[in-house]
Amino acid sequence: MPDPQQTLLDDEKVREELVAYLDGELPPEENLRIERRLAEDGLYRQTLQELERAWDLLDALPRTQPDENFTRTTVEMVVTSAAEDVENLKFQALRRRRLAMMAAAAAIVAAALVGFSAVYWETTAPNRQLVRDLPVIENMEYYRHAEDLEFLRRLNQEALFEEDVNHASP
Amino acid sequence: MAVSDTSTKLHYESLDPDVRLMLQVRDDNAAAFEELVLRYQGRLLTVLEHIVGRRASAEDLAQEVFLRVYRARKSYTPGAKFSTWLFTIANNVARNALRTMSRRKEVNLERGENGPTPNATMENLALESSGLMPTRRLDKAEMAEVVRQAMDSLNERQRTATVLSKFEGMSYEEIAATMDLSVQAVKSLLSRARCNLRQTLEPYLNEGARPNRSNGERTFEEE
Repeated sequence: MPDPQQTLLDDEKVREELVAYLDGELPPEENLRIERRLAEDGLYRQTLQELERAWDLLDALPRTQPDENFTRTTVEMVVTSAAEDVENLKFQALRRRRLAMMAAAAAIVAAALVGFSAVYWETTAPNRQLVRDLPVIENMEYYRHAEDLEFLRRLNQEALFEEDVNHASP
Repeated sequence: MAVSDTSTKLHYESLDPDVRLMLQVRDDNAAAFEELVLRYQGRLLTVLEHIVGRRASAEDLAQEVFLRVYRARKSYTPGAKFSTWLFTIANNVARNALRTMSRRKEVNLERGENGPTPNATMENLALESSGLMPTRRLDKAEMAEVVRQAMDSLNERQRTATVLSKFEGMSYEEIAATMDLSVQAVKSLLSRARCNLRQTLEPYLNEGARPNRSNGERTFEEE
């Protein structure tokens, strides 16, 4: 035969309102409604009483008492851990400082390299100009005979001596 | 928003002396930390023992909770009662521990090394509490054992909500904050928990039923 109280409690709304009523979590108007039903409905009232008695049985559960060493060992553990944290922080700070120093050294080396390259580039600039101008310098004698640069350009455009030029090219 | 945060902070600071203690801990006051440990160790152990079911584990976890409190001191800002904040940490620590224990248990089961399960299932308890079995009056320790078994029959979240409500007297709102749930979810959890407890403890509700250990089996007899 089904338990009539369980059947009542299978209704989620009834279950929640009875428990919330016992826990004092309902607004005053809801409390009044529950109390009216409790006065009228025997099964509803009995179900509430059983829920309350089952809850009261939990008072039989013991409250755990810490032993006398618990506070001391807890504080000691925290102090030890805090000391380890400080050590870790120191280690990390040292590591960060070392990394910063290494980064600074690397930056100095990089700056030196860049500076050297810039100076080298600058000091070798006249030579590079000479290398670029070498074909002109080598043929300076011929260019001097032409006297007019525009004349040479036109000669080149008309390709009259292309075969000779190609033949002369390496 | 900043004004609201500040007013919340001031509200809890003026309302809760433990918040003021924690603010001293934040300023590296070791005596204040020791005072907090003294004030909360019993409550924390009680809650944790009923959640994880073992005294030794509860002690380890309580120490872990206090350690986390200490480590979090520099970032502490009062946004709730100190106890709500503390039990939120405790709930997280306990859940992690239960997850680890459950994984170890699975491994042991796979290896076939697991002994008899100490916790009674709802079915076992229902069988033991069958009205057909003889019963006799329970003494205090036996009643505590029966209630503990009934608590073990709840699932983890129901048990945590029950313990926080029963032992800490927390409101639904505080339990919701502690367990990171909605108030409605807490209402539902607690109603199911209470209903399960009523069902499991039904044979003892009128006092006078107890498990009768004969041949290693529990039965009940009337005095």
